Amino acid sequence: MEWLRDRLGLEALAHVAAKKEVPIHRYTIFYYLGGMALFLFLVQVATGILLLLYYRPSASEAFESVQYMMAEVPFGWLIRSIHSWGANLFVGVVMLHMVSVFFLKAYRAPREMTWITGALLLFLALGFGFSGYLLPWNELSFFATRVGTDVPAQIPVVGPLLSRILRGGSDVTGATLSRFYGIHVAILPAVATLLLGAHVLLVQKHGMSVPPSEENRTSRGALRFFPDFLMRDMVGWLVAVGLLAALAAFLPWELGKKADPFASAPSGIRPEWYFLWMFQALKYLPAKVAGLPGEMLGVFFFGLLGAAILALPLLDRGAARNRSSPWWNRLALLTLAAALALTVLALLPAGGSAR
Amino acid sequence: MIALLATALLFELRGAAAPPTRSAPVALTTCAECHLALDDSRLTPPARAISDDVHYRAGFTCVFCHGGDGTQMDQDRAHDARKGFRGHIAPRDVPEICGKCHADASLMKQFNPSLRVDQLAEYRSSGHGHALAKGDPTVAQCASCHGAHGILPVKDSRSPVSPGRIASTCNHCHGDAALMGAHKLPSDVYAKYSRSVHFRAREKGDLSAPSCNSCHGNHGAVPPEVGSVANVCGTCHAVFAEKFKLSPHWEAFKDMGLPGCVTCHENHEIVQPTDEFLGTGPSGKCSSCHEEGSPGAKAAAHMRQELARLASETRTARETVRRAAEAGMEVSRATFDLGQADDALVRARADVHLFRPAAVTEITASGLTVARSARAAGVKALEERDYRRRGLFVSLGLIALAVAALVFKIRDVDRQRGRPSSP
Repeated sequence: MEWLRDRLGLEALAHVAAKKEVPIHRYTIFYYLGGMALFLFLVQVATGILLLLYYRPSASEAFESVQYMMAEVPFGWLIRSIHSWGANLFVGVVMLHMVSVFFLKAYRAPREMTWITGALLLFLALGFGFSGYLLPWNELSFFATRVGTDVPAQIPVVGPLLSRILRGGSDVTGATLSRFYGIHVAILPAVATLLLGAHVLLVQKHGMSVPPSEENRTSRGALRFFPDFLMRDMVGWLVAVGLLAALAAFLPWELGKKADPFASAPSGIRPEWYFLWMFQALKYLPAKVAGLPGEMLGVFFFGLLGAAILALPLLDRGAARNRSSPWWNRLALLTLAAALALTVLALLPAGGSAR
Repeated sequence: MIALLATALLFELRGAAAPPTRSAPVALTTCAECHLALDDSRLTPPARAISDDVHYRAGFTCVFCHGGDGTQMDQDRAHDARKGFRGHIAPRDVPEICGKCHADASLMKQFNPSLRVDQLAEYRSSGHGHALAKGDPTVAQCASCHGAHGILPVKDSRSPVSPGRIASTCNHCHGDAALMGAHKLPSDVYAKYSRSVHFRAREKGDLSAPSCNSCHGNHGAVPPEVGSVANVCGTCHAVFAEKFKLSPHWEAFKDMGLPGCVTCHENHEIVQPTDEFLGTGPSGKCSSCHEEGSPGAKAAAHMRQELARLASETRTARETVRRAAEAGMEVSRATFDLGQADDALVRARADVHLFRPAAVTEITASGLTVARSARAAGVKALEERDYRRRGLFVSLGLIALAVAALVFKIRDVDRQRGRPSSP
């Protein structure tokens, strides 16, 4: 052990671990969301690597390889179901993490870059979800991807080119599957690893943010990160593992029918739940708004929203000056309520039909 | 109008209406103008109906059938017998009048090159044609089915001879008990047909399913001869007819004068065949020729037993596979295989028409192998489901133990640090 410590500089790590503390206050529980997101990301990496051993990324073999994993490979069903369910839990936890960070104003100086790397990680998580959805090459994912890859085409000037680049052609084909596979298992993981590293380093550098409302209260002390907070984190992780295992055993992730590009789109195609609000909003938009294509305006609005989320620490001047920012809170609540309502509407029986 | 006058002039010169050209204009004739003005319950409706008439729209006006002079407004001149006028056309004359054009290949090809021109010859060979030739005016002739005025193309769904309406058109006469009684024919054929699988298929919108004319012919309508029944049914049911001709029943039925397929399946009331047809039981069709315990009855019972076994085992396998699929298990291969078992059952039922038990057994055996293998896959999937759930409970137990250990450790650490338990 001593031999390793000398060579790996474990003392420095132990010093950091001993020094790192987590403040105790009314909202301490929200600190666990970051650790949970990180844990679920690692679960995705581990199960994703195992799936790679059997998955074949071509239109003629993708579906059959997943089918083989589900039916023949020992515990293949478990790995695939955990990967699919874990992806959804991961996106959900990342979203909750971001919402909690927003309302606790943890993006105040000097943590602006922590927020920006976190927001980029959320976008990457959505990218992981979107690219991974197509990989089993089943009917539902095929047609949902056809709709999804049509959305960027609404962007003026570069949209059609962007859509062609995404699809690797004019329509969703085996070429789309190949590039989605490349994006899912190489490009996104590489970028995500860099961003995640930067994000964790920044958290380490700046420490945990204390919400403005708790700053002036009598301090209730702090938890040492190692082992006190980590042990609490591990309780959550174990519960997450149990939940994933239960979901895999009782609700194995369905494979459905193999995609048939020549078949007509089945009824009820829709993207994953985290894209539903956008999908539903685009459905409600009229064909023309003030002479401009409605869908184009919708895509422009989503782009604007993404940019606003990214630049939030710079836009929220109140928080930057360590003051409350009620208008931003109201705007965020309104946006969340609208997204939630649109998601519910899309989930209603008649809501999920294809455009 | 000029063309109309030219046509009328030609008519005058030849003493009969010359056929119009393909581009002849459609205009209201003087006949129609007068008949519309008459407002007579017998004489006006033909004039009203004629504007939709396929012949009229092609330029064939009233005078082509009724003679007379269609250019004259004066009734006497218009109804001039010297110009071939005949107001009422007797039923016996109708086929010849229609055949004047419809049997003329060179004329017909100007209007519809794909239309057959043998309807008149066919009609003369039909039961209707024979009776008409013998002077029976009550039998069907062209106008009975197609209508006299306002004749529509067969493809027009409003036409009484369109595929969707032909059976009810036949039933106008063939459902008339008095008329059929006079001809010593049954009047319940439509009622029987309406209980058949063919009628049910039509009700579901399948216009390719047989109607009266599919088996009896249309213009040459006659009941199929005893020896030709299998040929008639075989036009659609080719596989069954082929197998039946290879069976020992083919020669036996001919010797006994039995009319092939309809001996077991009926003619008009062709109901959904079931495996119970095989045998000498209440629904069995064999008892009329084969006694209980005879080799024929035993062969039928054997085939029925084979079919029942395959049907039952396929059903059980499907139920097992369905339960596994509902539990989220991957059983698509077994589901696909069950399709092969269904296929074997269909083929075995077709091979029943060979009336050779060995042929049926050979197919059911292959189907049973597939069904049993699919069921085994379903059972294995259900066992796998149970195994997963047991494994899950063990894992959850271990996880709960680990969580409990961590919670104790957290409390212990908190106590050591003199801190109340916190989140």
